[in-house]
Amino acid sequence: MKFTPEELRKLTLPALIAAVLLAAGAGMIWGADATLRAANEQATAAQAERRQATERLARISEEEREVIEKLGVYKRLRQLNILGDERRLEWADAITRIRTQRELLDLSYRVDRQRLLVSAPGKPANVDFFASTMRVQLALLHEEDLLRFLGDLRDSGNAYYAARRCSLTRIAQPPSGVQISPRLRGECEIDLITIVDRAAKG
Amino acid sequence: MPARHLLYFTAEDHYLYTVAHGKLELEARFPGDDLGVGAFREFLRGREGALFALLADLAGEDFHEDQVPRLRGADRQAVIQRRLAQRYRDTRLAAALSLGTVNTGQRRNERLLLTSFTNTQQFAPWLDALEEAGARLAGVYSVPLLAPALAARLGARGARALVVTADRAGLRQCFVENGKLRFARLERTVDMVPQALAAFVRSETLRLVQYLVTLRALPRDGAPLHAVVVTPPGERAQFEQALVSDARVAFHTVDGADALQALRLRAIPEGTGAEALYLQLAARKPPREQFASSADRRSYFVWQLQRGLVAAGVAGFTACALFSGARWVEAMGAAERAEIQTREARIATQQYERITATFPVTQTTTENLRAAVVEFRRIAERSASPEAAFVHAARVLDRFPQMELEAINWTVGRPGEQRGAKPAPAEAKPPAQGEEAIVQFALSGRVNATQRNDYRGITAQVQRFAEALASNGYELQRTQLPFDITSEGTLTGDIGAGESTEAPRFTITLSRRLP
Repeated sequence: MKFTPEELRKLTLPALIAAVLLAAGAGMIWGADATLRAANEQATAAQAERRQATERLARISEEEREVIEKLGVYKRLRQLNILGDERRLEWADAITRIRTQRELLDLSYRVDRQRLLVSAPGKPANVDFFASTMRVQLALLHEEDLLRFLGDLRDSGNAYYAARRCSLTRIAQPPSGVQISPRLRGECEIDLITIVDRAAKG
Repeated sequence: MPARHLLYFTAEDHYLYTVAHGKLELEARFPGDDLGVGAFREFLRGREGALFALLADLAGEDFHEDQVPRLRGADRQAVIQRRLAQRYRDTRLAAALSLGTVNTGQRRNERLLLTSFTNTQQFAPWLDALEEAGARLAGVYSVPLLAPALAARLGARGARALVVTADRAGLRQCFVENGKLRFARLERTVDMVPQALAAFVRSETLRLVQYLVTLRALPRDGAPLHAVVVTPPGERAQFEQALVSDARVAFHTVDGADALQALRLRAIPEGTGAEALYLQLAARKPPREQFASSADRRSYFVWQLQRGLVAAGVAGFTACALFSGARWVEAMGAAERAEIQTREARIATQQYERITATFPVTQTTTENLRAAVVEFRRIAERSASPEAAFVHAARVLDRFPQMELEAINWTVGRPGEQRGAKPAPAEAKPPAQGEEAIVQFALSGRVNATQRNDYRGITAQVQRFAEALASNGYELQRTQLPFDITSEGTLTGDIGAGESTEAPRFTITLSRRLP
């Protein structure tokens, strides 16, 4: 069937109205869909939050026990200045003191730039573990001098000392009769680990 | 919605009605001559776009049964038009009513009832007037076309029925078979008393039945034909007295008032006969079959299309609104659930905070306390100090005085990681969580107090020394003997020459896993 221009003109407005109504209907569905999607997401998030909160509440006695148990370690870390910013001056003081006390013949060291070791997720902020690698070289009379040095260093605090490498090498003996000369050469690589808790007060 | 006008067309006068809200109103009456046409044109002035339907109640209506091959679509239409053209001179007002299909043995045919008016010219000036005025013609109907619908409304029983009504135009008799019109006739009447009219109805009904039997439209010895007679209001008793059923016809009378009620027509103008029933049907439920050509109904078709488009839009919008409404309700439910869950979470959090307020002062949050201590312990577990290894080596060495160590290398790292005398790069990280960490411990030295050429003795001593070291949690990784006795290595010797004073050297590498 063919329509005359006059008939087509008569059909234009109804067709336009139908199109507008259908578009409005589609828009309503789209809007309702978006609202439903958002509401469902909100409901899912709220459900997860409620579950988390309820589970946390259920675990509270266990958490209390955990807090009490971990608090001792945490306080000790703070006491030893492992928790907090690096104390490089204190490290230098400690090494000097150990050398003097242990009458070590020769001691040289170098502490590298600090690097992030690991960032443990916490709330409201992460707990960052930093490490500064110290390379130390010692001239020793006896191998026990190295062990005593490491022990003293550990006891001096201000960081957690994690040895990564140590070597002990016998060195050639100079002609006898001269002054005291080292018999061994010790070399160590130690990570000086400090912890920065950004949520810590005081 | 524009008012629908119905032009009731009789041989003498034409009556213009409107039907609205169950009321039939007479708008105008026009004589059937040229004066009437002029008055009708005058009436149509200013009524452009008005809807009109024409209901003819005329005596000269032809009914002819025919058969055509069973076809569909345009082919069927073409065949029907050809048959109509063969039957009638003027096909402007002709219709073909389908009576169903019939099997002729060789093929299936469609039974048709061809119908038209013997004088179609009487309609022409009226239809032209409508077209010129820009009115929309919904259709041209005849009273017989509406009879099957009336029979159904009045509860006519049986496959065959006669519908008898006393119209303004005369006594109308329509024969309906299986819900389809088969034949009709109009007998002019004059004003007469109810008893006389009833007797006239009986005699005319019996005549028609006899005629139908002659035509073989009715079986000669069949069951009595059911005749539904609509009596003028209040005259049913007189009709029942006169209309005595017999072996040929079973009369069933319906009071005119009851018939109007059955068709939900509450009020009709004074002097209107049973044609009111047909007018109501033509206005409320017009049949698909009618006489007007598609050209005459063109503007009505466009109007229907306009309404159809808007209706489709409204229907689509309504469906979308309902669908989105359901989604909104669902969304509201979800929002309500979310609110309840949030409230419960808040209550649980408040309870948690109340209880944790009584915990020892931690100077940090519980999460950070846990993270700091757990991670520190992990690092500490994967750390080691060389003291234990050195003490272990010293104890074993006490049992092997002939062994003289020259160098000890102790490293912590991942399995397979090459650890030599070279310092590890500063960026190297300690073993991460989940990775296995090991302590590697390498001892290099010489074997004293054994003759240089006693290969077997030296090799045995170094192997015994290595086995002694591989204890206390340490595993032997590699032993580099003074003499390479493996098939992969190179064995060298210098027999007979002056003996070397240098003691044979060895390297033993041990490892121990960290937790």
